[in-house]
Amino acid sequence: MRPGAAGTSAGRGPKRMSTRALAAPIARRSPAGGARRERRALIQALESQLTQMRRELEWERRGRIAGEGLEVSLARLVHAGLRGLTLDNLGRLQAALYFAWHSVKTEEFGRDPVFADTLRPFFEFLYGVWWRVEASGIEHIPAEGPALVVANHSGVLPYDGAMVKLAIQHHHPARRDCRMLILDMFALLPFLAPTFMKNGEVRAHPDNAERLLGNGELVGVFPEGVKGVGKYFGERYRLARFGRGGFVRIALRTGAPIVPCAVVGAEEIHPILARADWVGRPLGLPYFPLTPTFPWLGPLGFIPLPTKWSIDFADPIPMDGYGPEAAEDPILVNRLSQEIRETIQTMIDGRLARRRSVWFG
Amino acid sequence: MSRIAITGAASFLGSRLLRRLVETRGPGSVVVVDVTHPPAALHGVGYRLVDLTLPAADRKLMELLREDEVDTVVHTAFFTDPRRDTSYAHELESIGTLNLMGACSAAGVKHVVQRSFTAVYGARGQNPAFLTEDDPPRPKEGFAWIQDKLEAEQHALSYARRYPKMTVTILRLAPLLGPGLFTFYTRLFARRVVSVVMGYDPLLQFLHPEDALPAFDAVLAKRIGGIFNIVPRDTVSLLTTLHLAEKVTVAVPHPLAYALAEAAWGTGLGEAPGGFIDYVRYLFVADGAKAARELGFEARYGSREALMDYLAYRYPDRRPRAWAMAEARR
Repeated sequence: MRPGAAGTSAGRGPKRMSTRALAAPIARRSPAGGARRERRALIQALESQLTQMRRELEWERRGRIAGEGLEVSLARLVHAGLRGLTLDNLGRLQAALYFAWHSVKTEEFGRDPVFADTLRPFFEFLYGVWWRVEASGIEHIPAEGPALVVANHSGVLPYDGAMVKLAIQHHHPARRDCRMLILDMFALLPFLAPTFMKNGEVRAHPDNAERLLGNGELVGVFPEGVKGVGKYFGERYRLARFGRGGFVRIALRTGAPIVPCAVVGAEEIHPILARADWVGRPLGLPYFPLTPTFPWLGPLGFIPLPTKWSIDFADPIPMDGYGPEAAEDPILVNRLSQEIRETIQTMIDGRLARRRSVWFG
Repeated sequence: MSRIAITGAASFLGSRLLRRLVETRGPGSVVVVDVTHPPAALHGVGYRLVDLTLPAADRKLMELLREDEVDTVVHTAFFTDPRRDTSYAHELESIGTLNLMGACSAAGVKHVVQRSFTAVYGARGQNPAFLTEDDPPRPKEGFAWIQDKLEAEQHALSYARRYPKMTVTILRLAPLLGPGLFTFYTRLFARRVVSVVMGYDPLLQFLHPEDALPAFDAVLAKRIGGIFNIVPRDTVSLLTTLHLAEKVTVAVPHPLAYALAEAAWGTGLGEAPGGFIDYVRYLFVADGAKAARELGFEARYGSREALMDYLAYRYPDRRPRAWAMAEARR
């Protein structure tokens, strides 16, 4: 309603009423005696009428102001809202949302410390509550200098990498950050690619690994690769081929010691009963797992089973005794690769023999 | 007296390089070989009109180089921006370099410095995080913008092999970004809405123009042949770049992005053809260790600093809070 319209319609009522009220006492006036009393009564009546009129006018005025105020403020708000809905403000809003959980600074290999801190509580929950990870042998990881942590891979999604990383951060006295080398299939998928990169993971490429070790960093690698994460449930805890020994060549070239690591518990988080790889291929996935929950339960299928995990580290295997040229000796590389694989297999078998329950360890 | 000749002196980099050469060597020892006059302010600079795309350009250039006693040539006649007229770009960049190399080798030029681009490595998912000069360049097939630059490099390298007396240096510069630049990268900043590939956020390198010139100084002083990556100190992610500029980003799924970019380029709305999508999806970060080791060149600016310098120049009256954090040098 327009403010003017409200004013005129509301103003008509009291004006008519007041003329009628004014006329009544004058008509009743008698000429005989008590003129002073009558005059006083008339004055009183007039005064009360005037007061009433003044009050009504005041109410009306207030009401009009209140109505106008509301309408004006609403109009202003809508106007401001429309004026505020500009691309500039949208850009500002996007920037504010982005920098709320991203840093303006990017470290080497794209690690974003603020982003990594944002993701951390999620992994901490998985580590402490969901899988109740038990870590042992952390002391085998050198306090400083380059080292290559070599572990078995499983679990459809590379949670084991995140857990090994957290185990070292929790229990190692130097709280070393282990940079995980990740498979192309994860490093190139949309959304996952920048997430991994900003969380500090690096695409598995010999040049990347050598550069990290050359910087004196702790590097984690899963030589089984896709064959490990996409393993059938029936083949659980039987290590697949260790690639082509690339990790041994890198260790030989850089002289970094190898720390074998056995992860138990990750094989059962997403048991692969069958695979429908033809579904995943158009999506750029090397395999498409069918687990008891995925894809039958929709998004619930992504929830991993709450098994009990243990992560064991063994004595580091020194690699600097062979010299960098040993990396070109395929027989030696393959032998070392097999030895490390057997070490990890033995560690897993030992842990499995002691394990009484998948869920409680 | 030995002179230095420069091509592409009207470009952003070429004009700054020309001024630098005139300042350090004196106007008498600099010759501009171009189709455009050098600025009138640079008195005494030699000027030779040579169109490198003409069939007899090599012979004409050879005679001029001999006449002027040129012993060093700086070749910067390349298009930074993708061009719709791809055949002219091919004539200038690929064939023009072939003509130039032929002329230089015949005229007995001792040193040729060619400007190139880190984009020749090609942005690929399989790239290592840092590309070195030993990694083979594998740009996208059919993407003329970068194929021509790679061909120019290959011509230069083949002449370097055939004429060992002529030192050929190729400087692969990371994309330039800084005050005063106007390239297809900076034109993205002129837009209010920038489309990105959904779910990808690659690292980018932006070389500050003030870092590009010392690299040429170093290579001219040391006269070392070969390929060198000239890159900034660090990297910056694409989304950080766009959000620091407070752009509205619209994410396009990658199966659609190539076709949409190609359509936008074809209709004149886009800044670059579909092949460029790879460069905002995957890495093509180059490693500057070889330049540091052999040329003694180390960039003073990082990518983020180059970006902040550019943003301060582009938006002089804007001061978002994120800028203060981004400008703080380590």
